Formats: sequence, C-alpha cells, structure tokens
Amino acid sequence: MKAADKGMMRLALRITYAYRASVITTAGLLVVEVFLLRMIWTSVYDGRSSVDGLSLDVLIVYLTLVNLQMFLMTTPIAQHIHSRIRTGIVFFDFVRPIGYPRQMLGIQAGTTIGQATLLLPAIPAAFLAGAISGPAGTAAAFAYALSLLLGYGIAVLLAMLLGMAAFWTTEISGIATFYRFVSQFFAGTMIPLTFFSGPLRTLADVLPFRYLGYVPTAIYLGVTDGDEIPKALAGQATWVAVLAGLFWLTWRRAQRRLVVQGG
Amino acid sequence: MMGGRSRAAAIGLLTPMIAGLAMALSPVFNVSNSFAVAPFPLTPLGSVLVIQARGLRKVFRRPRRVEGPFGAVRTLLSRQVVETVAVQDVSFDIDEGELVGYLGPNGAGKSTTVKMLTGVLTPTSGEVIVRGVVPWRDRTLNARAIGVVFGQRTQLWWDLPLIESLRLIGALYDVPQAQFGRSLGRMRDLLGLDDFLDTPVRQLSLGQRMRGDLAAAMLYEPSILYLDEPTVGLDVLAKAAVRDFIAETNRAGRTTVLLTTHDLDDVTALCRRIILIDHGRVLFDGTIERLIASYGAERHVIVTLAEPGREIPGGLRLEDGRYRFTLGAQEGVPALLASLGASHAIRDLTVAEPELEDVIKRIYAG
Repeated sequence: MKAADKGMMRLALRITYAYRASVITTAGLLVVEVFLLRMIWTSVYDGRSSVDGLSLDVLIVYLTLVNLQMFLMTTPIAQHIHSRIRTGIVFFDFVRPIGYPRQMLGIQAGTTIGQATLLLPAIPAAFLAGAISGPAGTAAAFAYALSLLLGYGIAVLLAMLLGMAAFWTTEISGIATFYRFVSQFFAGTMIPLTFFSGPLRTLADVLPFRYLGYVPTAIYLGVTDGDEIPKALAGQATWVAVLAGLFWLTWRRAQRRLVVQGG
Repeated sequence: MMGGRSRAAAIGLLTPMIAGLAMALSPVFNVSNSFAVAPFPLTPLGSVLVIQARGLRKVFRRPRRVEGPFGAVRTLLSRQVVETVAVQDVSFDIDEGELVGYLGPNGAGKSTTVKMLTGVLTPTSGEVIVRGVVPWRDRTLNARAIGVVFGQRTQLWWDLPLIESLRLIGALYDVPQAQFGRSLGRMRDLLGLDDFLDTPVRQLSLGQRMRGDLAAAMLYEPSILYLDEPTVGLDVLAKAAVRDFIAETNRAGRTTVLLTTHDLDDVTALCRRIILIDHGRVLFDGTIERLIASYGAERHVIVTLAEPGREIPGGLRLEDGRYRFTLGAQEGVPALLASLGASHAIRDLTVAEPELEDVIKRIYAG
C-alpha cells in the first residue's frame, strides 16, 4: 500500500470523526439498537418460545448480528460520488495522480475502520446481554470471516456501481434511498430470509443482497454448514467477479461521460 | 515500461556522471522534476513548449426540454438532445515559464478549455499536448505536472482542518517528508497560513480559503499552474496577496501559469501575454500593448479653451464647457494642437490613453 492510499484512508477516518456529537450518538444508538431488537421481538413472540421452528433466542442473535454487520458494510461511496459530481468538485478527483476508483477504495477502507471503532461499545454490550453468542465452531468462525469479507466486497462494488450512475444522471439520491431500503430488506436485516416464501423468496435468492447479511450470519450460527458453506462462498466470489467486471466496463465509459458542473 | 527497481539502479549509477551535463541543460530538460515525461518539442528560440492546443472543440449534449403538459416526464423520455458548443476552435502554444492571461466574457469557453487542458474533460475534437502527454489519455501522469485552483470551488476538505488537506495532498503526490516540510514552510511564509492551518476549512474566510487552495496546488511543486478566477470575490488586500504569490511562483520556479480572470488589474499586474477568447474562438493572442494598439487605438484629448462657448468642428462639447476630441490610430496629438491652436486660445489639455478595460469592453460588446 502506498502513501497515497494511506492518505485517503486517514482522511476518511478523520471525516468519520470530524463531528464529535455524531460519533457519540452513532456509537450510542448501536447499543440501543441491540436492546430494542430484543424488546420488539420478545413482544412479537408474545410468550411463545418458537415460531415456524425458529426460537426467539436464535432469532435475536441472528438479527443483532446481521444488523451490526450491515452497519459495518455501510458505504459512503455512492453518496460521495454523487455529491462531488453535483457540485463539480469531482474535477479535483480527476487531476490526482492516482485513479478515481482507487481513491474511492481508500475512502471506503478508512470509513470502515472508523465505523468498526463505533461498534466497539455495541459488541461487548450485545455479548453481555446475550444478544450475540459465540460462533457455531472454529470452522464456522473462519468461514464466517471469509464470507463477511466477500460480502463486504459485494457491498462496496454495488455502491461503486450505484455511484457510477451519477456520471449519467447527475442526481441519484432517489435511486440511492430505494437501493438502501431494498438492500437492507433483501439482506435479511428485518426478517430472516427463511421467513420469505413464494416469489419473494425467489427474488431474495436471485439478488446479491442476501450475501451481505443473511449468508454470512447463517454460517456463523451454524444454520449453513457442511457442504453448504463452500457453495455459499463460491456464490459470493462469483458475485464479486461479476460486479468487478461490470464496474470496470462502466467506469471506462463513465470517464468519457464526465461533465464538470459550473464555470 | 522498465521495471522500477532496475531503472532506479541505472539512474543511481548514471546520476553522478551526467549531473554536470544536466545542470548545464536544465533550462531545456527539467532535471529537477522527477516527474519529467517524454521529451517535448523545442521552439526556435530554445524556449520549451509546454502546452500545445490545436483546434480544440468541446460540444456538450443534454436532453431537449419538452414544454407543455407533463413536460418533465416527456423530457425524461425524449431522445432528442440539445447540443451546446462550449469551445468552438481554440489553438495556442505556451512556453515554459510564461504567465498567460486567458480572458473572455462569461460563457466564452475559458473554464471548459482549462478542464480540457487538465485532462478532466475529453475534447470532442482537436488535440492537446501538455509536456509531451495527452492529458485526458494519461490523466495520472499529467496530474503530477499540474496544479489547479478554481476560485469558485475548493479542493480542500470541508470538514477538516486545512493542514489535513495539505497532508493528504503531500501523500497523494508522494512528496517526501523533508520536501513536504520545506514546501509547507515556504507556503506558510508566502501565504501567511499559520493563523488558520488548524481551522476547519468550512470556517475559513474566502481569502483564507483561497490562500489554502493556492498552497494545496503548489505544495508538490508542479511545473504548470492553472488558475481559474483565483481572485473572484476577494477584498483588495487578499487580491494583492494572491497576486504576489502568483508572481513569486512564476518568477522563482519557472512555473508556467495560465490565469483565467475577469479582474483586469490581475492581468495588468501579472501577465505579459494574453489570449482573448469569445464564443469558443481565439480573438487575440499577444501582449497587452499590442492588444491596445490594435483594438483600442482611440485616444481622447480633452481641451479647455480660453473663450468657451464656440462650436469647434470635430470637437464634442462636454457639459463643463470643455471639448473632447477622439483621435484614431494614425492621428497625433501635435497635429490636432496645431490646427486647433491656429484659431483658438487653448488654456488646458489632457490626453487620456486607452485602458485595457476600454479595449476589452469594446471587444466583448462586439
């Protein structure tokens, strides 16, 4: 890694920490989320210990883990590209001695490091409250780490592709809001995908979003195990390859499309 | 391309041997600049051509707006496009160390030209070569040789203290630690950055922000500096600080400067040469003196007579009783005095030389 990449990461980390109130609020809200999830689903289960074969304890662990994980995968990239194109500041990104996608990756990495530190209070709190338990086994732990990394790759590539749309449309905030909702929903952050049925389930299986949330978490919990694990990882790797190729093609065209706003 | 390590080793061996020769040739080959790229052509006088624009043209396309019911939706679905020609046909050469004013009314195509020279925009047709490189094809290579300041927007990071942006730029351009310290020290002196180095950029005044932007653009000592309206909106003192910095940068380091501005005081204070464009075409390229001589040759002579009140052929009577005569390029003041003095007693006389502003006004007005 070069000084330039470290510089971009450092910058993104500083930006994450630029507003103290926002840092404290976010870290605090993540802790609150852990307890809220438990309260809501305990009242939904209303005294029953399991619904559709899914026990309340497992459900709470699943939802806590999948939501904290999704927080880690939040990416500033689409928003970043959009705002810089809209204001014309993108100009300066194009006169840098390192390429635009590499700058974006640096910003992404720095932001993720910053967000990981914001999770520091929430993770022990979740363990103490019994909202997260240990992984299903050593193999599951390693597979989970790999799956999380691949899921992260998919999340970042999707965000970069979404950001590319701004080169054509300038304005993407509508699409971005829609994307956020759809990706969260189909990642299984609200309800586990096993509760989906019919066409909704088919759609969830076709879309890449389950690989960001449900798939790694299911490995962690041991719901996905044995032969299923390599299959799941291969599915993720395929998406990474496809999205990377798609990004490359889009990026090549986007450079020619660039319009710098303002005189 | 050669492997980085073997090339570095070869340079390491050769350096002591060619150092003396290189020093002698340094005005021709920019030895001090480790980012020196392919050799560029020499002009007859031995000056080095650094920017070459030939028949540059840029056309923007956007969807045609549809009027009437559901106009917005129909615009969205329409396949019709409107073409705007921002730059029609622009050609010029700029030598190393020049400080050129690039002038023109709003919408003349100045910023678009700068965006093409920097490699950010791809020309619709025509070509640009900057230090032997086609900027938009080799963006990252070109980037190391250029610094850019836009008065209307900033490359500094809004939420962070100024020093953070400067550190990032040092890292992006691989500026070694020691050189970064030296360069930053120089910027602090020249631009008086010390008072606000640790202030978040969003809290800086416009004058401070502009000084920060100039520091950011010159921190890695690029050989070309593009300035797009660097004094816009600044007060008299801040303008002077910016001008001094530009003049010093151009003088000290042989940095080539292309300056876009609407402030003609910037131009008269800094530029030896100006390129004037309008409607995306070059109208004039040369020295300020030549511009005034060829476009603004008219001078006004104001005469006060001992006995006012009489009509004089060729003279316009002003409200205060004086007379104004307009002289063309070939007419001299002595001739006017001789003919006037023969019939009238002249008490006082002033000659108003044409100013750059008058000339520019006349040209913009068409």
